[in-house]
Amino acid sequence: MLALDGLSKHFGGVRAVDGLDLEVRQGEIFGLIGPNGSGKSTTVNLICGVFPVTTGEIRFEGRNITRAPPHVCLAAGIARTFQNIRLFGHLSVWQNLWVAQNAMADRKASGFLNRWFGGSARARQEVEALLEFAGVAAKADDLAGNLSFGEQRRLELARALAAKPSLLLLDEPAAGMNVEEVGQLRERLAKLRDDGMTILLVEHVMELVMGVTDRIAVLNFGQKIAEGTPEEIQNDPLVREAYLGAPQSAGGGNA
Amino acid sequence: MVDFVQNCFDGVMLGSSYALLAIGFTLIFGVMRRLNLSYGPSIMLGAFVGTLVFLEFRAGGLAVAAATVLGAVLVGIYVERLCFWAIRQGAAVASMVSSFAIWMQLEEIVTIAFPDRTYPFPPLTRAQPMDFGPFFFKVENLVMFGCAVALTLGLHLLLYRTRFGLRLRAVAESPDAARYMGINIAAVTFLAFACASAIGGVAGYLIVAQDGQITPLFGLWATFKGLIAMMLGGMGSIPGAILGGLLLGIVEAQSIWYLGTEFRDLCAYALLFLFLVFRPGGLFGHALAERERLALRRV
Repeated sequence: MLALDGLSKHFGGVRAVDGLDLEVRQGEIFGLIGPNGSGKSTTVNLICGVFPVTTGEIRFEGRNITRAPPHVCLAAGIARTFQNIRLFGHLSVWQNLWVAQNAMADRKASGFLNRWFGGSARARQEVEALLEFAGVAAKADDLAGNLSFGEQRRLELARALAAKPSLLLLDEPAAGMNVEEVGQLRERLAKLRDDGMTILLVEHVMELVMGVTDRIAVLNFGQKIAEGTPEEIQNDPLVREAYLGAPQSAGGGNA
Repeated sequence: MVDFVQNCFDGVMLGSSYALLAIGFTLIFGVMRRLNLSYGPSIMLGAFVGTLVFLEFRAGGLAVAAATVLGAVLVGIYVERLCFWAIRQGAAVASMVSSFAIWMQLEEIVTIAFPDRTYPFPPLTRAQPMDFGPFFFKVENLVMFGCAVALTLGLHLLLYRTRFGLRLRAVAESPDAARYMGINIAAVTFLAFACASAIGGVAGYLIVAQDGQITPLFGLWATFKGLIAMMLGGMGSIPGAILGGLLLGIVEAQSIWYLGTEFRDLCAYALLFLFLVFRPGGLFGHALAERERLALRRV
């Protein structure tokens, strides 16, 4: 579904991502892990067109989107969340979802009046469903900035879903969450996969990555050093050395 | 006491024109976090378009007003394309400096096209001032006040009752997040700029019509008054711009009456200085009003 082919991004002399080959298949949760600064977030940013690729190619559903700007990637079906939460804090929870839900439709010239006023009842129902999914329906008319940290994370996930993507890029969605919240997130992601969503998950929290992903790739210094199922990765000596450190921390904990 | 109250009324009337200028300023700043110094000069050029229509076709008030607003919007779009869209990746200060350069360019264009410098402008009305007990009001002042109220209401509805307004507030808050939501930022900022220029055009028309004449210096004047009123209210805040404009108007009206005309600008700058020292965020701090309940309405 998503294929990275020799993808590289150099910032001056720094090779943030260096010749990365990756393939994410339809309907799977693909984990991308690695130590800090190994190029995980840069990879996400390259996929959704934040900054230009140095060399290499990104294909999504057969289309070359290497140089596509963010809104084109979104139109193709790629939505994302951020490592640092970037909600519209001065808009309500409902408005955050509504804006995201309408933004793409509003780019088209059709339905001018409909875009400015009202909108369809179906669109409103979709927003209600997302509020339920994120567990923030009771706070729909509160300022997003006043939500608790966990609620903001869930709202950001729901906002990414509002654009009806086929591929979801999650950049450290469990950062700062407690054990219970991580468990809930795990269930949510599993449910999304059951509904047919493809997910690329960048994460440090090993319980989540090892518990929910189908396959994992490990990055170090911008290069892929291993790829396989969670079991294979946990037993890979190269990975342990580069990333997981001492063997006893391999199975769980926050590396 | 009657004098003081009369001055306050006059100040509110005067201040409503400042408020309109400040609203345009603050709308641009709120969305882009960038200052457009050539806001006043683009209104000034619009007013010269109005004067041209007046002199060439002997057109009446409405046609001149339409020409002024249209001119201000077109010049505003020209400024947006050059100073903001073209260098949207650059630093905010680059936009500010280039808007200063465009200011000089606009003044030069007007000076070349209108060599006599001072040109007549048709007055809004020739009606006599109206008496209300011990107080009197000029009709054009009342029109100015009414227009300010109507435009403010209209802008409020646009921002808080339409999906365009919601998107505009989203862009103002987090351009980055807005981009990844697929919001067309270029279109939103373009329309915000056009709205601000139209409001500025109406304000410019009302002020110049009251003066009965237009000079190229009007651009400088409009930028200063709008900027001061915006700073008093709090940059980026629309209620702040309105209150800042009214406060500036009242202070100027009082100082004209009690100290003399020559103290008018001196008092305005002193007021700005006091605010910058003691309340640098302005009356409304940073867009405090956006936390209002009605801002949460589902549009």
